[in-house]
Amino acid sequence: MSDPAITGTYVPAKPAKTKTQVAPRARRASTRAMIDRYSVTEYVMIYAGIALFLFFMLAPFVEGFLVSLKPLSQLFSTPYSFWPEGGSFEAYRTMWVRIPYFGLYIFNSLLIATVSTVIVLILVVPAAYAFARFRFRGMALVLGAFLAVSMFSGAVLLIPLFRLMRTLGLLNTYWAMIIPGAAFLIPSAIWLLRTYMMRIPPELNEAAYMDGASQFYTFRRVILPIARPGIVVVAIMTFIGAYAQQFIFALTFNSKTEYMPLPVGLFAFFGKQEVIWNELMAASFVGIAPALVIIFVLQRHLVGGLTAGAVK
Amino acid sequence: MGQLSLQTVTKSFGTIDVVKGVSLDVVEGEFMVFVGPSGCGKSTLLRMIAGLEHTTAGDIVIDGVRVNDMAPVDRGIAMVFQSYALYPHMTVFENIAFPLRVEGLAEAQVRDKVGAAARILHLEDRLQQKPGNLSGGQRQRVAIGRAIVRAPEIFLFDEPLSNLDAALRADMRIELTRLHKQLGATMIYVTHDQIEAMTMADRIVVLHDGYIAQVGAPLELYHTPQTLFVAGFIGNPRMNVLPVTCVGVDATGVTVDLEGQHLHVPVTVPAAARAGLPGQRLSLGIRPEHIALAQGAAADGTAHLRVTPSVIEHLGQQTIGYATDDTAVAGDGGEAVSFCFVLPGTQSIRPDLPVALAFATDDCHLFDAQGRAFARRIDMAGLTLPPMADPATGG
Repeated sequence: MSDPAITGTYVPAKPAKTKTQVAPRARRASTRAMIDRYSVTEYVMIYAGIALFLFFMLAPFVEGFLVSLKPLSQLFSTPYSFWPEGGSFEAYRTMWVRIPYFGLYIFNSLLIATVSTVIVLILVVPAAYAFARFRFRGMALVLGAFLAVSMFSGAVLLIPLFRLMRTLGLLNTYWAMIIPGAAFLIPSAIWLLRTYMMRIPPELNEAAYMDGASQFYTFRRVILPIARPGIVVVAIMTFIGAYAQQFIFALTFNSKTEYMPLPVGLFAFFGKQEVIWNELMAASFVGIAPALVIIFVLQRHLVGGLTAGAVK
Repeated sequence: MGQLSLQTVTKSFGTIDVVKGVSLDVVEGEFMVFVGPSGCGKSTLLRMIAGLEHTTAGDIVIDGVRVNDMAPVDRGIAMVFQSYALYPHMTVFENIAFPLRVEGLAEAQVRDKVGAAARILHLEDRLQQKPGNLSGGQRQRVAIGRAIVRAPEIFLFDEPLSNLDAALRADMRIELTRLHKQLGATMIYVTHDQIEAMTMADRIVVLHDGYIAQVGAPLELYHTPQTLFVAGFIGNPRMNVLPVTCVGVDATGVTVDLEGQHLHVPVTVPAAARAGLPGQRLSLGIRPEHIALAQGAAADGTAHLRVTPSVIEHLGQQTIGYATDDTAVAGDGGEAVSFCFVLPGTQSIRPDLPVALAFATDDCHLFDAQGRAFARRIDMAGLTLPPMADPATGG
């Protein structure tokens, strides 16, 4: 009885003669994992899709930048010329002359957004931790309420908010723009950070407890450092949110020129007869710049894989 | 120091009782292993000793002090988690130093103690790395380092090796046994792996369904399991259980009928219980490694079986055969039971061909209808290790 499986007879495998599946010219693709390989048509469609969306998102910025370079007379010429003729950065100089407070507006905007962000973080980080780690009566209700509140925009509640601000005597102060701004950003920040903190293994809390650490010590020395990327995301989101929504609060709760943030300040370019489009655009770009810098700085702290090696 | 006592400890989650009254004394310096299938309550019991779970009823006493409501640190306990639970943002040094930092120890002392722990665990070169850059075995050692640095009296291990591959697990087993000798502390170790239990334990606690099924030295549990459950759980492959009928009983043992063979199993039956036994259905247990190929005709004191194994595993040092349900030996009542045998060396047997096997009735275990074992009439002195010298004098 000779069973090849037991006697171990060597049966040479036939050399593979199958046609190669990878296109010979796509040499770069050949090193990719099979799941990441696409045909030429697929690549064309993918990039066409990306280009379409990029166009929609970036076209206003491109046009805005080109407008800021043109002299005002050229903006209303027919036929409209897309490229600036005799373009210059003149508008970036004259806007400072037309609006002397422009620097202050940028500072106000940054101040309001930064203070809002700091307030939100101070309140949200412990709250999100509590919602992520502890079970307590009424937790689902409170979370649901936060979700419901975040569905209202501040604009809907302007009149009650105005009365509240007046009663508290906060009208025409920075706080009139900071407090409602922070309040409307807290719910979504709690939900965002809670999800992140729930992914931190609870064994770390138990291990710290076994090592004698108190709840607060564990929070400060173990949870906070691990949650850093989540906190940075929340900080960026809150900062952008505070920067964007301050317009409506500033317009209604503040009438003092020296407290106005940038979006309201830009209104000065809307004259009685005409809108100084080129300077408006120039001012918008200059106004965004500091916020962009702050976000880029924050983004550097967005490092992944902080929990690597914690468990398993 | 390091003496632990559980007194009818109970744990319920809502209406579900997980631990149903466990009493146990662990002596100082002992390596105690809790073993049992998943859901038997062994991890819950460990977490109660640790102070992570509240005790529903009963007392946990350490060195004469009731510790039910004390925090883990005050109990003098350290625990190594199954998932290691290392602090991922800290270096190995800071991970091991964490309990000392909590204590608020001076920097120089922290350095000394962490250095000593790292030396014991061979982690000196890794102290500045983060856990994410370590292998599984190294992470395990960091977790142990964090436990030993505080010099606790009792160590708890919750399935610490279950995330490691087989080769590393064998290494860490030896390393942990060495560590236990070096530290001399009480260790309580939870595992579902009975090889870990057999190799490391001074005594094993077999837990079943929230109760202690049996407590004893590893070889004691192997040779004289008190219940069918313990018999099946200790030993690998598991003990074969054949249904038999009692045909006679006397002072020297019980005679049972297995497929027409009358086998005399040397067990002790209390005189009062003897009368009702003949005619009863019993379970005959025989470990796979006590089975041999049949040599010649049936002799007195041996049982013969004809089995058709469906799967044969050739491991080189042994040959393992499995007869699954449909090809198994016919039981006494005609029903099929699965059967396993381990033969030494390489045997020329093939699957699906019948093979004649034999085993000595002296190696048999006998269980009553409730799964309780009859005491075997064997000389345990020849089968187990002599008792250890007193650790206080012999250490």
